[in-house]
Parts: sequence; structure tokens; C-alpha cells
Amino acid sequence: MRTGPTLALFVASGATLGLAANALSPHPALVGRPVVSVAEAGGGACAAPGPLPATAAPRISVAEAAALCQACQAAFVDARSATEFARGHVANAVHLPPAGHPDEAAALDALRGHPLVVVYDGDYSCAVADDVAARLRRAGLGDVRVLAGAWPAWAAAGAPAAAGACGVCGVAEAHP
Amino acid sequence: MRARAALRMALGAVFAWAALSKLPDMAAFAELVANYRLLPPAAVPVFAAVLVGVEAVVGVALLAGLGARAAAGLAAALLLAFTVALAQALVRGIDLACGCFGGGDSASWWTVARDLALFAAALASAALGPGRLGPRPAAPAAG
Repeated sequence: MRTGPTLALFVASGATLGLAANALSPHPALVGRPVVSVAEAGGGACAAPGPLPATAAPRISVAEAAALCQACQAAFVDARSATEFARGHVANAVHLPPAGHPDEAAALDALRGHPLVVVYDGDYSCAVADDVAARLRRAGLGDVRVLAGAWPAWAAAGAPAAAGACGVCGVAEAHP
Repeated sequence: MRARAALRMALGAVFAWAALSKLPDMAAFAELVANYRLLPPAAVPVFAAVLVGVEAVVGVALLAGLGARAAAGLAAALLLAFTVALAQALVRGIDLACGCFGGGDSASWWTVARDLALFAAALASAALGPGRLGPRPAAPAAG
């Protein structure tokens, strides 16, 4: 088998396979949306340059959100899994994953008492946080924003955090 | 002969595993690629996807012994590129996860050494040929 054509075949078939596999991945890299490094994004690729998708919630920086957190002027919603929440979360955050909350009405009532709700997840694209933010807006909450840089940027900045299972369900595995 | 085949298949398994481990979270892998700060941001998602696909094809080709010399050569070229990318990041003081096998393991000079060892193995496989696991076919009996 000749090496040159074989190499070309490997690269071409690999490129096709890779793009198809990416499209089928549960968390695909969004082709067409630039991805900048964490350092260049100032805390996370949620802050990637370029227009946000139409469904995306407005972003809030870690510095601004941390100041509001310390002044108790914002409520925080953690949209990650219960296990990730138990490992570490924004201090006093409400655990509200996309699958729902055991006492959704009580959680929403608690959030309504705040002028601003900040939603975050652990994923660079903030897709999960955007979904939860949209749900909160549909539930009638006014100012809902998504944390730029997600949980990794919050943790890296040393902003207020706590660990432990969700207070409502008690154990980490009680809800997804 | 069997040693060459074992080397080829071990290398194939490493590449196949490297590709498979990234598939569940390609978005995170794209971010790890961006952290190397070698590519324009717009090119990162496509590059990440293509890289995983090429890794998978190289892995399968080495495991199956199809175009094995070319696959080993391509593996060597990829590993050399990975080594250079890792080394430049470490020299520039960029603190990043390697992204080699989909996880968040930190890049270090140990990672560079591992990639160099794999590069040497790939070069050897390309130079020595694919080898065979089974016995050599019997020569036709002399008439």
C-alpha cells in the first residue's frame, strides 16, 4: 500500500469521522463559535467573543457576581449535578438542575425575594445554565443572568464557596 | 515479528482510547485545545473535532494492521506535534490540562516525556513494519 495516498485517506476519513462524532457528542464543540483560552477570556470561555445565541441569558462577570454575593444582593442557582454541587458550590446557592428540584415552588419563592438571580453550571459553553435561566424567566423571575466562566472561574477566583449536599434533599444523590 | 505486532497494537490502543475518552465532552476538549493558545479561536472547535477523528482512524488502522506503516507514521507526526505543543506551553508558563485522554490531568514535563516515548515507539513501528500475531504462513512444498 502506497504511503502518500494512504495518509491522505486517513486524514480525510478522520476529519469526516471527527466532525460527525462531534455532532453526535452529548457535549459537542460548537463549530462556528470561537473558543478562547480561559486566560484570554478572563475567567472562562463562556465569555468567548462574538454574539451570544439568541436563547442565551445575559452574562455577569465573576467579579461583579462575587461583589453582589458578598452584599447578599443576588441569589445563586447551581445547575450542575448533585454530586458536583456537594463537592463545592457558591455559598448559599440553590441547587436547581435541569431535571428539576424536589420542591420547585419553594425554591422559586426563595429566589423571588432577590433582585437578581445568577445561574451557573460547570461547562464552558454555559448551555445548561442558559436552559435553567430560561426556565426561571418563564417562571416569572425578572433579572436572571448566567455566570461568565461558570463554576471553574468562580472557584479559581476564590469567591465565596461552600461544600456539602443540597440542603433540601439532604443527600447528594437525592436528585440529579 | 510478534513484538512488532504487539508494539503496533499497543500504540493503536493508546490512540483509540485517546479518541474515545474525548467523545463524551467535546466542548471541554475544545476548551483544552484553546488553552494551548496556538490556534485562532474560530478554528478551535473544528480542529478539536478533526483531531479526535484522526486519532480514532489511526488507532483503528494500527489495531487492524491496515495501512499500518502509514498509520504509525501519522501517529509519530501527531505525537511530535503534541510534544512540541506541550513543551511550548510549559516554557511559556501556561498552566493547562494536557487534554491527552479527555480528563483534566495537568500538563507537566512528565507528560512531555511520555509523549516522546510514544513518539519513539511510533517511529519504530513505522520503520519496522506491522509484524504479525499469528505464525508465518507455511511455504508451499517443493515439488
